Amino acid sequence: MARLRTRLPLAGAAAALVLGIVALTAPAQAQQPIRLGGIFIMSGSASVYGQFAQQGIQLAVDEINAKGGILGRKVEFRIEDSQGKADVAIQAARKLVFQDRVDALLGIDSSGVATGLVPVIPELRRPLIITHAATPDVTGKLCNPYTFRISVNVNQNMKAAALVAADTGAKRWTTIGPDYAFGHQSWEYFSKYLKEIKPDVELMKETAFPRFGNEDFTPFINSIMAAKPDGVLISVWGGDLVNFVRQARNLGFFDRGMQVLMTVGAATEVLSALRDEMPEGVWLGTRYWFGAHDNEINNAFVKAYMERYKTPPSYNAEGAYAAVYAFKAAMEKAGSTDPDKVAAALSGLTIRAPNGEITFRKGDNQAVVGPTWGRAAAMSAEHGIRMLKPMRAFKGEEVTPSVEETGCKL
Amino acid sequence: MSRHLSASTASAAAAAGRSLLGWRLGVPLILALLVAALAALPALAPYFYIFVGTEILIMGLFAASFNLIFGYTGMLSFGHAAFFGMGAYTTALLLLHFQVPLVWALLASMVTSALLAAVIGFFSVRLGEVYFAMLTLAFGMMVYAVAHQWRSFTNGSDGITGFLLRDFGLGLDLQLADPAVYYRVVLVIVVIAAAVLYLITRSSFGLILRAISENPERVAFCGVDVRRHRLAAFVIAGAFAGLAGALFAPFNRVANPDLLHWSQSAEPVLMTILGGAGYFLGPFFGAAVFVLLETWITSFTERWMLVLGIVLALLVMFFRRGVLGTLLDRMLSR
Amino acid sequence: MQSFIAALLNSLDIAMLLFIIAVGLNIIFGVLNIINFAHGGLYMLGAYFTYALVARLDLPFWPSLLLAPLAVAAVAVVIERLVLRRVYGRHVTDSLLLTFALLLIIDESVRMIWGSGIHTVRPPEILRGNISFAGVSYPSYSLFVIVAGVVLLAALWLLFNRTRIGRIVRAAAIDRDMAQTVGINVPLVVTGVFAFGAWLAAVGGVVAAPMRAIDPGMGDRIIIESFIVVVIGGLGSFPGALLGALVLGLIHGFGGRYLPEINLVLPYIGMALVLLLRPQGLLGRGAPA
Repeated sequence: MARLRTRLPLAGAAAALVLGIVALTAPAQAQQPIRLGGIFIMSGSASVYGQFAQQGIQLAVDEINAKGGILGRKVEFRIEDSQGKADVAIQAARKLVFQDRVDALLGIDSSGVATGLVPVIPELRRPLIITHAATPDVTGKLCNPYTFRISVNVNQNMKAAALVAADTGAKRWTTIGPDYAFGHQSWEYFSKYLKEIKPDVELMKETAFPRFGNEDFTPFINSIMAAKPDGVLISVWGGDLVNFVRQARNLGFFDRGMQVLMTVGAATEVLSALRDEMPEGVWLGTRYWFGAHDNEINNAFVKAYMERYKTPPSYNAEGAYAAVYAFKAAMEKAGSTDPDKVAAALSGLTIRAPNGEITFRKGDNQAVVGPTWGRAAAMSAEHGIRMLKPMRAFKGEEVTPSVEETGCKL
Repeated sequence: MSRHLSASTASAAAAAGRSLLGWRLGVPLILALLVAALAALPALAPYFYIFVGTEILIMGLFAASFNLIFGYTGMLSFGHAAFFGMGAYTTALLLLHFQVPLVWALLASMVTSALLAAVIGFFSVRLGEVYFAMLTLAFGMMVYAVAHQWRSFTNGSDGITGFLLRDFGLGLDLQLADPAVYYRVVLVIVVIAAAVLYLITRSSFGLILRAISENPERVAFCGVDVRRHRLAAFVIAGAFAGLAGALFAPFNRVANPDLLHWSQSAEPVLMTILGGAGYFLGPFFGAAVFVLLETWITSFTERWMLVLGIVLALLVMFFRRGVLGTLLDRMLSR
Repeated sequence: MQSFIAALLNSLDIAMLLFIIAVGLNIIFGVLNIINFAHGGLYMLGAYFTYALVARLDLPFWPSLLLAPLAVAAVAVVIERLVLRRVYGRHVTDSLLLTFALLLIIDESVRMIWGSGIHTVRPPEILRGNISFAGVSYPSYSLFVIVAGVVLLAALWLLFNRTRIGRIVRAAAIDRDMAQTVGINVPLVVTGVFAFGAWLAAVGGVVAAPMRAIDPGMGDRIIIESFIVVVIGGLGSFPGALLGALVLGLIHGFGGRYLPEINLVLPYIGMALVLLLRPQGLLGRGAPA
């Protein structure tokens, strides 16, 4: 192995890391730094989400450290790759907690990983803030006192989508979504909420659920066009959504006067890949939109992020950034990093995040927060992506179901 | 498979026969010490290494079961995760719906995995080499698709979670929720399973398997039903892979389609090659190297896949006999 | 009827892209007797080089179609000389593992160079619209993919059946030792064949670039599809790559349209059926290799 090491830049990286840690801890502080552990997808086709999250955390940690840290202690963070697999994420969480001795956990990009990891969290006895995964279950039937979510979940986003859909006047609705829990749950909740708001809508039987990672959506696009709906909910995301939009555009999908709602369409990584190929006029949803919140925290966050990374922050960067500040607030409120005290402090806590004042609701630990929806409008010369206009930033209270509905019993 | 692999197996066996004569007493002693050290691990090592140890033992058993058909019988399966996942799902569902004692869930998992292996094996073992690999891949992905799509029964892509570990059964009072206890339970079961697997490889049945991997035509000529022996090996391997999966589900509190995906089937292949397919303990050794490397390297860099790729390439190019094989060669040539 | 024609055209353009990639895999298998997992990585490199040339250096698409595959072929020469050469004559398992390792290395290298974002490349100006005939409107770029596949098919047929180089390669595929004794520089032929196979993978990557999202997972996605193609058609068989690609294209084009519930598993069912009924593939050479 020694022979191997010398061949790799690893030795250099290790040395740099050691030096870095030494340099950080050098200022003769007797106190240990506060450690945060992140679990994100860092490899494979969805690794762009991990990269954004890492940038968001880095920015928040640097800002906090520049202002004296948390409780007078420096903040450090370490990120482990979940590879998008629950068992890998669980082992990574154990390593972060038991080996790296982190004080708190954040992250999780996929619903499958979240449903696997969340039941293990009480055994690890560390607060976890989910920053991306949207499955209702982790703040519903699988909820526990250590698990929180700062990002918008499927129920909240679909309630907002249903409100948008109801306003369009379209009567016959169908969906194209990835063939796994997220796609099916999105359609389920959308159907339920839309029916509540407008009992006369028709929810079609002709739906399409192409497999995740499918590269050619043409057959599914053709089926849906042949069914002649008035409105279509698209929950395809990431690289798949990029493929979908380009193929659908070629096939004239967007020229039929249908109302098209893309539940994660206003993700900046998708918009910057598509540029003006994202058709104007479609409705795009996102858990956070950098241009939707005119408050000083958001303005400072967007400015700092743009300066450092030369691109507007994606929703995943914002979720991770806000989660770090949520831990700061909770630790300061608790006056300690004791995991039980921090978890107790997080419950019911209200913080000021880039997307406004948000509260981790007592009862299910879900942040009361809403998505932003808007229509794809003109290109922004500055960012090279389509902007949203008109745009509606939903209030958490408008779209969050009651605790009873979530099935969470804390 | 045949020529190359079996040549290395045969020469290794010959070398072992000659030089290990003096080790006759040494080997059991070393193994006993190893097991004792493993049993003492929770008391000695940092807490996290209980989890690392559990994972190594389970993955080692998974890889060893794979090696029964790969190293010993000469068939490269790309769908071995089907049986691992089958075991995981069986145990998870039994614990979730019927709260059975763990030991019965483990046995049931071996049965369901063996049945699945009998079906897949019935169609697959008649094919040679690459075609066998591709057909097992196809069957494995079909099982994956069933688990993924049958939402009412398997809970789809999210998998089975929220099941509780109650008692072990057999009247033993074990706190299975304690990771150190669970680790020791896994250790005992894996040692027993490994012993059974070892006896199988040493039996006359095992000898026929090795003969098949060297020259199936000649074995058939001697009046042995090659296909039936291959099928038997495949089913046994499936049952032990199922046992490994059945231990894995309670360890991570989840059984989901990832455990059935072809990339999960690649893991025992990599571990076996890493450790050395020509040795019974090679897969266990490979699992240890794989898991430890992953644990350490991911602390320095997120580019674990790159490091894995480089290590694997170097091993295949220069240390074809695996880490264990290379180590033993070094020791024996002195 | 219109939906049938649309599904047929769709199947054809999927099939032609798969053919371009899988035929390279088969040519490499025919001569080198290795199953090249890294083929997916080489395809991805083709797409990323195109992205670099078109989107970053502002070159037009057409010169990229020439340059990117050549660059990938050059990478392939290095891979063959430094790495693959060491496992010739060993069992096919070794090359499978080695090329799997290469795929991991290429995947991560691409992420280090170009980051993990999602990229796109625009089709060339003249291929951006739609063409309609028989009441069906179809993207001209997809038709271009079909034409490109057919042209490549014809060129390959001529190369292997009508030229000296083709005969040398076929001789090396049948019996390397014999080829060596009649004065063919076999190591050179082997390097050339691997580079040519990689060139084909990269052509697939360039052709795919304007219609598929370019991200670090694209190589992994295509390689399993390509394996299914070559297994269905017959390992090492040139016409088999075409037939396999057509079968898989039809499975995707019609399966997605008419059997959407099981589209995840249809390709594997197809592959298993072929293996059970005719293990050497539909057009494979006689006995199992």
